[in-house]
Amino acid sequence: MGQCWRLSSWAVLRRHSPLPPALVALVAAVLAPAAAWAHADLHPGGGLVAGFLHPITGLDHVVAMVAVGLWGAVLGPPALWLLPLAFPPVMALGGLLALLGVPLPGVEVGIALSGLVMGLMVLFELRPPLWLAALLVASFAVFHGHAHGAELPAGTHPLLYSLAFVIATGLLHLVGILLGEARRWPGGRALVRLAGAGVALVGLWFLERALA
Amino acid sequence: MSGPGTAAALWSALGSLPLAHLVPTGLGPWGDGMARLMLQPLDLLLLVALVLLAVQNGRSWSDRLALVLPLNWLVGGLGGLLVVRELPLALLCAAIVTAMGVLAALGPALRLGERFLRGGTAALSLLFGLVAGSSLAGHGGALQALLGEAVAIAVVTALLLMALDPPHPRWLALGLRLIGSWIAASGLLMLGWLSRQPL
Repeated sequence: MGQCWRLSSWAVLRRHSPLPPALVALVAAVLAPAAAWAHADLHPGGGLVAGFLHPITGLDHVVAMVAVGLWGAVLGPPALWLLPLAFPPVMALGGLLALLGVPLPGVEVGIALSGLVMGLMVLFELRPPLWLAALLVASFAVFHGHAHGAELPAGTHPLLYSLAFVIATGLLHLVGILLGEARRWPGGRALVRLAGAGVALVGLWFLERALA
Repeated sequence: MSGPGTAAALWSALGSLPLAHLVPTGLGPWGDGMARLMLQPLDLLLLVALVLLAVQNGRSWSDRLALVLPLNWLVGGLGGLLVVRELPLALLCAAIVTAMGVLAALGPALRLGERFLRGGTAALSLLFGLVAGSSLAGHGGALQALLGEAVAIAVVTALLLMALDPPHPRWLALGLRLIGSWIAASGLLMLGWLSRQPL
């Protein structure tokens, strides 16, 4: 009965959806309940799942990572690829510091500022020299790494968790770059600036919470 | 009992013992060994980094990598099987993976040279094979698992080399450097975890 309902609802969804079937399937997969992952932490795959989900389930991290790609697109080459290239190792350096017990003051403020500052950079299409942009992004990366790199859910494989964490972060950068490439289209530039405004607002919200 | 008969009996007896350091796949020691490559991120990352360095530095060396890498791994692994206890070299392995990731992220501009790549690949695959072998030593089905892992390494290396055959368009060259940076980042985090709680 359940199988029949699923088949019929899938058919209805396909018939009435304006989206391509592949996209509908992708959205359905993303929105599927997470109950199936309930026991994921009991095997090595749990490390992969936890590591992959960790960066994409924290809004502060997501907006900042997307902003790295967005700002790279605004700055153009070589910043377009240099910023996403430099960010993961520097972020991991922050994670390493946390794992070694080296304290870093104002981590939450730093993370919130990363969203706010990079969002404003995208909104106003600011183009500082490459070294300054790289320095700014690298500084923010240390805060993100320090806060998130050392958070390991119980029972997960730390090495697989680390690998998946980095991959998910890198993919968020790519999402930002792809969004930023919308600037090539009519109206795309306004869309990217709007996205920058959204990132800045989220950053501002987190900053208010961090300072409260 | 004849030589082959003894070997077969030994093989069978070893295969019936439990396997530590291996995730049971239900496919026996051979399959567990193949799966080990995917579940031991340091081994997998080193392999990917070595492939990246090879393809970034031209076709002449990358063509031979699919043979050199698994064979050296196997030789190192056979040596590791003779070691009584697991070699505590995980931190060193993580540091090496990080360094290889950095080299791949820096890209072909480094001009590492074929001699450096050849020597480095041979030494590192022997070392990582040795560590893998020592982690399996003394446990049932270790030899089968080691062979399974070597075959998995050969297959994955060949597939990667086929997909990444040089010369590369600009977007792919940048993508390879990006993956190198991800490997370096993963290695750094793993270094941190291993220094905190050795596996």
